[in-house]
Amino acid sequence: MESSVPDFVLFIGRFHPLVVHLPIGFLFFAFILELYSHWKKHSAHSMAIEFALLAGAISAAVASVLGYMLSLSGDYDVSTLDTHFWFGTVTTIVTFFAWAIRSGKIDIGKFNVLKSKIAALTLVVVLVSVTGHYGGNLTHGSDYLVKYAPFGRTEKVVLPSIEHLGEATVYDYLVNPILDDKCIGCHNSSKKKGGLSLQDSTAIMRGGKNGDALIAGNAQKSELIRRTMLDPHHDDFMPPEGKTPLTEEEKSILSFWIEKGNADFKVAMADLEAPEEIISIASLMLGLEDKTGKSGIAMPIVDEVGTEVLKDIVAAGFKVRELVYGANVYEIVLPSKSVSSEKGDGLDVKLQKLLPIKNNILWLSLKDNFVQDRHMETIGQFKNLQKLEVEKNPITDAGVGYIASNESLTGLNLYQTQITASSFDIFAKMKALERVYVWGTTITEDQVANFQAYGEGPTIILGM
Amino acid sequence: MEEDKSKSENPLKVNRRHFFSQLSVGIGSLALGSLLIPDLFKGGPKPLASQPLGIPHFAPKAKRVIYLFQSGAPSQLESFDYKPTLAKRMGEDLPDSVRNGQRLTGMTAGQDKFPLMPSAAKFAQHGKSGAWVSEFFPHIAKIADDICIVKSMHTEAINHDPAITFFQTGSQQSGRPSMGSWMSYGLGSENQNLPSFVVLTSRGKGNSQGLYSKLWSSGFLDSKHQGVLLRSGKDPVLYLNDPDGISRSDKRHLLDHVSSLNKLHHIETGDDEIESRIAQYEMAYRMQMSVPDVMDIKKEPESIIKLYGEDSQVPGTYAANCLQARRLAENGVRFIQLYHQGWDQHGNLPNEMAGQAKDVDQASAALILDLKQRGMLEDTLVIWGGEFGRTNYCQGNFDPKNYGRDHHPRAFSIWMAGGGIKPGITFGETDEFGYNIVKNPVHINDFHATIMNNLGLDHEQLTYKYQGRRFRLTDVAGNVIKDIIT
Repeated sequence: MESSVPDFVLFIGRFHPLVVHLPIGFLFFAFILELYSHWKKHSAHSMAIEFALLAGAISAAVASVLGYMLSLSGDYDVSTLDTHFWFGTVTTIVTFFAWAIRSGKIDIGKFNVLKSKIAALTLVVVLVSVTGHYGGNLTHGSDYLVKYAPFGRTEKVVLPSIEHLGEATVYDYLVNPILDDKCIGCHNSSKKKGGLSLQDSTAIMRGGKNGDALIAGNAQKSELIRRTMLDPHHDDFMPPEGKTPLTEEEKSILSFWIEKGNADFKVAMADLEAPEEIISIASLMLGLEDKTGKSGIAMPIVDEVGTEVLKDIVAAGFKVRELVYGANVYEIVLPSKSVSSEKGDGLDVKLQKLLPIKNNILWLSLKDNFVQDRHMETIGQFKNLQKLEVEKNPITDAGVGYIASNESLTGLNLYQTQITASSFDIFAKMKALERVYVWGTTITEDQVANFQAYGEGPTIILGM
Repeated sequence: MEEDKSKSENPLKVNRRHFFSQLSVGIGSLALGSLLIPDLFKGGPKPLASQPLGIPHFAPKAKRVIYLFQSGAPSQLESFDYKPTLAKRMGEDLPDSVRNGQRLTGMTAGQDKFPLMPSAAKFAQHGKSGAWVSEFFPHIAKIADDICIVKSMHTEAINHDPAITFFQTGSQQSGRPSMGSWMSYGLGSENQNLPSFVVLTSRGKGNSQGLYSKLWSSGFLDSKHQGVLLRSGKDPVLYLNDPDGISRSDKRHLLDHVSSLNKLHHIETGDDEIESRIAQYEMAYRMQMSVPDVMDIKKEPESIIKLYGEDSQVPGTYAANCLQARRLAENGVRFIQLYHQGWDQHGNLPNEMAGQAKDVDQASAALILDLKQRGMLEDTLVIWGGEFGRTNYCQGNFDPKNYGRDHHPRAFSIWMAGGGIKPGITFGETDEFGYNIVKNPVHINDFHATIMNNLGLDHEQLTYKYQGRRFRLTDVAGNVIKDIIT
């Protein structure tokens, strides 16, 4: 639908927002001066009021004409526009009357002259205010004025809070908030720039003057995305100059919804195969703990650890490294040969020191430290452990049994221990386990081949 | 007062910022700050840049790097980038449409013709992944399913020194900190008795290019992040051993005394490098004990020596260095940089390259296998590659048995393994001439960004402010190549 209005008219029309402030200023000035002159009389006041009223009337007339031109663009909601138009017109006419009364062109001597002057001006001011309010609603949206007001705030639709990302419907929880933040200011039911409203699903599907806003399954061809991806200096770039552009993260959420979610308004995260990056962004947007971390490693939510506790652990001979800034997760390393007793005496006390942070340990290395089966029982309590290095220790199958219930361990190093192929069944039970290192044990290649033939369980890695 | 005076006389510590930070500027400047930086007083997560050092920005996949640098630039066309078209069109001039204005080095700029030269080495596909590897590298061929071959590396430099400097420091001009120094700066040390960045060099019989200590320099970073070159032979670190007649306790007393003098000097001048110096003396003292132990490869069993090859028993060879690298990795060194010189085949390529390949093939593969069986490939990122590639046309006389290749920056191959890199894949593609990249280009900045990512470091956040601007290893570029990350 191409506009048949000449460009020149639309161009002139765009001066409406500029000119419209002149009558507002003049008329308020006249009103204030009128009030003031009742308190302190001065002959100059009368002249000034008269002049301000005339200037106000003329500028109001010009603004009205310009406003009409602007309205021809068709970007605005018709009913609000109508109200604004009529209030504007009435304001202009009444202002002329007010001027006529003030200057004595119309004699209404029967009434009390003094009061009529005030009454006319008050009416003018009220009209200007009402007109201005509707004009504001047209430009900024109907909830602009009261959005941050302390009273009578229209309650936003509150989405039920969710605990898992999978529950989130992509549109309601992710897409709509972005549109609301960056687009709806100009594309709403009362102000439809380019004939497009992004207020709700029906409006989005209706598209705008330039056709459909989105093409399900094809983000590149969807206007909604294409325009945000353009060079910022391009004429079609959205949001236009001066407005905050979409961030890369926001763009990728929108693209993801259109592409992978087929622009379905009901589809939930759980229905889609979301790449790590999207999961990460979405988690952040919803204030959920990022389950993947930026590099795709699952991060547990754990309590903060006191510095005293850490000092204690360091004093026991462990190396402590914070694994991710601010996530309270740690890598703990006991340097090789820190334990000298073949029975592993001394290690018990050391491991006790780790218990206060048992949920915070992600990586643990105790290689070559005479770790016994009984120590594995303690390690079994470290439920968030992802990597465990206990190679070169006298651990047997019984020791492995103690960590069988761990559900987060991905890498387990047991090379040069005393385990046998009986441990395979335990490995198979451990949900997250991906790789087990068993070089230098009695385990043979055939045993490994047999186990791997089932196709389930972790990869067992033997040596040369 | 006394201290203030001496500091103000010393330009090292007092600069404009120092001066302003000492003024009691009061609440007004805070309010101004909050206007200029809207998020200043907002709660929520702190910006990454304000993080303390030594803690990854996000969950790491690797905790150390072993970089097997093939200095001189091995030809991709005789190693990993199989181009049968070169055989079909042997001797034909490289079409201008392919060369597309590529600048040439002074060595071939005078050539009238650029005749296409096929590989003298035969290629075959290996492993489940079907990766193409030439016959020069039979051992690496066997680990094809453990490595990720990137065929689409590219650089801007066309000569060795800027090219290798670019790879090591992220800039063609020298002076920036080395990769290893950045990692040490970003991740801290794991073993207090060893430097976090160690360098080992070896040299093949092929035409070689120089190696300079600037390649492992810490640049403007604290000098404790500098790479420490360990020599082959009896004294891995020169002057580390106590002279005859000096006992270890004498040495201790000496160090304590020197250290107290240095501390006084530090109070006087405020120069932080003095503190680094004190720390380095202490490190050297501890290394007197730790290094001989780590470097003693006689403890290795027969099976391991067989794995790395007989050369691993000869100090100073690439094979011995690979074995050392594994031992250093086991002992908590963060970044182990090997260089093997001799890959600059401007002539006599088939012979020289076969020799070079023989030097490194078995030991490189052995290192991967050895790390894998020890479970260390989980968190050790291994990189194998040179500073650029070589031309698809012949340099010098056109003789398929004895030809040379000039420098080529537009496309070359490297491989990586372990430490969160996808095993058994080939990434990127070149055109049928092996001259231009047609798919998934990887710039050096991208390469750096990816390595840092796997160590848990955000390449855009790890910065160091120097001479009025913030520096990064990737400077103002670099994208993490997500497709090669597990």
